[in-house]
Amino acid sequence: MIKLSPTKKRTLFFVALGWALLLIGDRIGELLQYQGSFVAMYALAIASIILLTGYSGQLSLGHSALMAVGAYAGALSINNLNLHPAIALVIATFVAGIFGLILGFGVARLSGPYLAGTTLALAVSLPTLANQFPILGGEQGVVFDVGAPPARFGEDFSMYKWFFWISTLAVLIMLWLISNVVSSRYGRTFRAIRDNETAAALSGLNTGRLKVLAFAISSGMAGLAGGLLVMLISGVSPSAFPLSLSFSLLTGAVVTGVYSLKGVMLGGLVLVAIPEIADSIVTRIGGSEGFTATLPGFLVSALLILAVLFTPNGPGTLLHSFKKHN
Amino acid sequence: MIRNTRMKRFSIVSAVVALGTMVITALPAQAAEPGLTSSEIKLGISTPLTGTAALSYGKVPGAMKAYFDHVNANGGVYGRKIKLIVRDDKYLPTLAATQTTNLVLKDGVFALVAALGTATHSKAYTAASLAKKNVPDLFVNTGFSGFGNRTKYPTTFTVLPSYAMEAKIISKFVKDKFPGQAVALVAQDDEFGVDGVNGFAAGSLTLASKTLYPQSSMTDARAKALVTGLSAVPGKPVVILFGTTDVTALILKAAESLNLVSKFTWIAGSVGGDSNTLLALGVKSTTIDGIVAASFFPDAKDTNDEYVKEFSKINAKYNPGVSFDNTVLQGMNSAMLTVQALRAAGKNLTRTGLIKAIENKGAKFASAALVPLNYSPTSHIGYNGYWMGQLNAKGELKPFGGTLSVVTTDSTNGPITPSTYKRISIPKNGIPTNS
Repeated sequence: MIKLSPTKKRTLFFVALGWALLLIGDRIGELLQYQGSFVAMYALAIASIILLTGYSGQLSLGHSALMAVGAYAGALSINNLNLHPAIALVIATFVAGIFGLILGFGVARLSGPYLAGTTLALAVSLPTLANQFPILGGEQGVVFDVGAPPARFGEDFSMYKWFFWISTLAVLIMLWLISNVVSSRYGRTFRAIRDNETAAALSGLNTGRLKVLAFAISSGMAGLAGGLLVMLISGVSPSAFPLSLSFSLLTGAVVTGVYSLKGVMLGGLVLVAIPEIADSIVTRIGGSEGFTATLPGFLVSALLILAVLFTPNGPGTLLHSFKKHN
Repeated sequence: MIRNTRMKRFSIVSAVVALGTMVITALPAQAAEPGLTSSEIKLGISTPLTGTAALSYGKVPGAMKAYFDHVNANGGVYGRKIKLIVRDDKYLPTLAATQTTNLVLKDGVFALVAALGTATHSKAYTAASLAKKNVPDLFVNTGFSGFGNRTKYPTTFTVLPSYAMEAKIISKFVKDKFPGQAVALVAQDDEFGVDGVNGFAAGSLTLASKTLYPQSSMTDARAKALVTGLSAVPGKPVVILFGTTDVTALILKAAESLNLVSKFTWIAGSVGGDSNTLLALGVKSTTIDGIVAASFFPDAKDTNDEYVKEFSKINAKYNPGVSFDNTVLQGMNSAMLTVQALRAAGKNLTRTGLIKAIENKGAKFASAALVPLNYSPTSHIGYNGYWMGQLNAKGELKPFGGTLSVVTTDSTNGPITPSTYKRISIPKNGIPTNS
């Protein structure tokens, strides 16, 4: 039996997952490919919150704003600089990361409710700010067009499959990088700060700098997720990033288990599946359109309450304790 | 420990795969021409049912359904019953994109009808691949002239006159009726408002001030600051409000609280000048009395109008409990245009056939509007004119100066001419028999 290092195992896992998703992507219909792209995008956005909250102990309610930063950066680089969409997504990541870095320095002294409040203010104000600069396209926003899939994939290669490929590939690469970061020295120091900042500082860690770093990495991830979101809806505008998006992501993170990156796909799946479940409930039992419109919100809230009550650390811990009992 | 981690990973992956498989098996099979059977035509609408935009437009799907029910009860379209699937997009681009995609891919609709909004629908159109899939996109409720771009939106037909046309017509009206008065324009800072601003420029209206605001950021305090600023202009300035109804209401209420309503001559665009919604949003009836507004429909309260009379009857029967207003009239009118389009496409209905039918016969469809439809193989823009009226305290729009004067124009530099259009009478019982 060949012994593999954890890093290699992780890499192999991601390659296998990518391979499996490639095969799945070939066998599902366009709707599922489209929904699958959303699952991947949400999974990444949730992972960015988990990294920040679960690993470094900082709470952000403004991740939709960070996603918006990445989204606008990506859209503008396609529209104004005529860059390739792949490069635009990289730019989305870096611009949001740098924005997060600057913001991180600004809020480094804040923690708990103060940090949450500041990021919340950001989520409220940033999309409005986008209306003030003509280059950002006002309410209408900016088009984000990745173009048709390359001709060599053939006529039958749909746009949704193209979306699915781009999203899953981008998300897998990012999650692979991040899972390496959290199992490295940085991951351990992040957790040390989360568990006891004073003790971490006494052990010689530069807690301020590390917190800013965590914020920047998390912002970069959110920026990429934002870029992917607006790719999927073919354009960016302020109303694509409502405050409710930040809360949905937070719900996804809590349902997933905020201390572990392993279940992020579950979180993404939940966010995409809930409107579908609500839809099928209404179809089955009947009900007005108003009922259909409010049911998803109700289900998300109910799920959040149940998750906090029964699996505050994520469904993974349930499995763990179940195994222990046996 | 490693074993546990592996197990956990394995179980997560298998759960995802299992869920995926479950959903795949639930996917319906695609027919050759989606949404069409020998007994049914499936249509879809993505529009706000909740949120602020739903206050004015939430009634559209109900009105359309009521009209389709009426047609279905009378034999449908060549024996096929129309089924309208409604999805709520809350007037958000992300939801409009996903809900429209759902309508096309999941619900498998034959065509889309009466989608609302410019920012929302332009994204939805691309995200749902409507052009590539050749999905007819009928009677979109926007006056954004960009939807007239046939290369970008080959399957789209808009219904409202363009905002540029409206602005040009208002410009001429102001110059004719209020010469010498200072004019202030307050417009929304998006495609809708900018289209309007271009129209005011094309109409060469001299503006004393121009305020562009983002729709989502107008607040009570900002509205008050705006009205206070405008009140510094001497005389009785004309204020043109070119925005959505909720913002129009905010500005009017700000003027109420500052006692400045009578300081101005108010002109509200066709989008923001819906009196029922303004009243519902808390604007006083005394404020509404005298507001100048543009319209291309008869007034929904004009019970002598044959379309209003027939549609009110249908509304009372199939849409009980919902009061008949301009929005219901607009919804029913779009539904009646849809039925005529489906009939014009013939018994062997296809998506391409439907698009061709509107291009070739759409200009002759019966409609409630007092201005003509302009569909042709080269134009997918609907109405092309307006009449100017004045609201009274009851919210009824009466022709300005007592005589109805309908004018038509284009979105660019064409002249504004009095309309010679003679409206086609409503078909018997409101059931089209065209072919």
